[in-house]
Amino acid sequence: MNHDEANDLLAALALDAVDAEERSAIERHLAECPRCQSELDAMREVASALGNTVDPLPEGLWSKISDRLYIDGVEAVPVLAPMDGGALGTRRARVPRLGSRRQVWRLAVPVGLAAALVAVLALQLVGANNRVANLQDALRSNDVQSALRTPGHRLIELRSSTHQPLARFVVLPDGRGYLVKSELPKLSTSETYQLWDIVSGRAISIGLMGRAPRHVAFTISGTPGPSSLAVTAEPSGGAIKPTLPIVASGSV
Amino acid sequence: MADLSEASDAQLVTAVGRYSEVALAEVYRRHGGVVFGLARRVLGNAAEAEDVTQEVFLRLWNEPARFDPLRGSLRSFLLAQSHARSVDVIRSQNSRRAREASDAMKTARAEYHLESEVWDLTVAHQVAQALATLPPEERRAIELAYFEGRTYVQVAEILHEPEGTVKSRIRNGMRRMRSVLVESGARDMERS
Repeated sequence: MNHDEANDLLAALALDAVDAEERSAIERHLAECPRCQSELDAMREVASALGNTVDPLPEGLWSKISDRLYIDGVEAVPVLAPMDGGALGTRRARVPRLGSRRQVWRLAVPVGLAAALVAVLALQLVGANNRVANLQDALRSNDVQSALRTPGHRLIELRSSTHQPLARFVVLPDGRGYLVKSELPKLSTSETYQLWDIVSGRAISIGLMGRAPRHVAFTISGTPGPSSLAVTAEPSGGAIKPTLPIVASGSV
Repeated sequence: MADLSEASDAQLVTAVGRYSEVALAEVYRRHGGVVFGLARRVLGNAAEAEDVTQEVFLRLWNEPARFDPLRGSLRSFLLAQSHARSVDVIRSQNSRRAREASDAMKTARAEYHLESEVWDLTVAHQVAQALATLPPEERRAIELAYFEGRTYVQVAEILHEPEGTVKSRIRNGMRRMRSVLVESGARDMERS
């Protein structure tokens, strides 16, 4: 679908008046066309004005929502890949209390890049079973601001190949890290950013960041600390090794 | 955040991202009525609208990063979610069959008037003004698409008009409304 065809359908899309096939085609165009994205956002504001109809809320509805906040923590969570470097798998996992809430917090665990990486991976895998819970604990008790006030924190600026600053991370001495700021352009719905720890020239997956990263937390374990971080654009399920070119990278 | 009732929507979503159920409850208090109201209007069914409302807020809880304040207000975001999910429900075969079997529903739709259905006091006047600027054929196309969950192709069939004509009517009508709403400040008023 070219620009004019997509642009013609933006108003209909804002009203959800296109079929699934057209929606996908338009979304592919939107990923490459900020102008159309901006117009769609404006059209959606118009649609929301039309739909701004207040109804009295049914009694008990909030209780139903509240009751499901924690028991619905069942999502596809990346599962440890076989040590022989097989494909990234998924499983249905129930995480106690705070379920795997969002994609950006899911970890794309280190997978076998090559047999030579087994030793490094083993270190990564040691704490992997608890990593989701650890991350969630960290997120509950810390935020970016407190991380920035922590003595010994390191700021890592990730830049594009043209030296444009695209993302800034803070990493604490214990390996916890947070996204401080992101200028990464939004990806299409079928893609995600993936964060990599570059150690001795090898890329180890730290986690998936989602298509428009805003809140990202991670833990780097098994290594003394990153020598550099890198971000790549990958299919939504993540990749076992980075797809080049690297979107942004930066040294500690 | 000492007093959530005074927090901005963006601050609330940030708090939701830190597992603040209280913040989510405040979002629900502010916007739950419109989320439910739109779903009920599109679906014509309170029980299904409750399900949609639950999904919308659970999704915000699970994926708060999907809301980007630079792209619009939280209310618009939640309404878009409510509408899209409601349309999904409507377009499922069973729901459509049940819907079409309901004579009462058809009667209600036939008597539906956009102006009388827009309740929110902050934008009602501006929306009414914007709607008044639309030629009837543009209003009808938008109404069928948005409130009945039809695709523009289906709208064309209902109105016995070429698809291209309906597409243009929707586009022109939405652009016209947008101009009026921007002039009247309704969009800005809606942002938090």
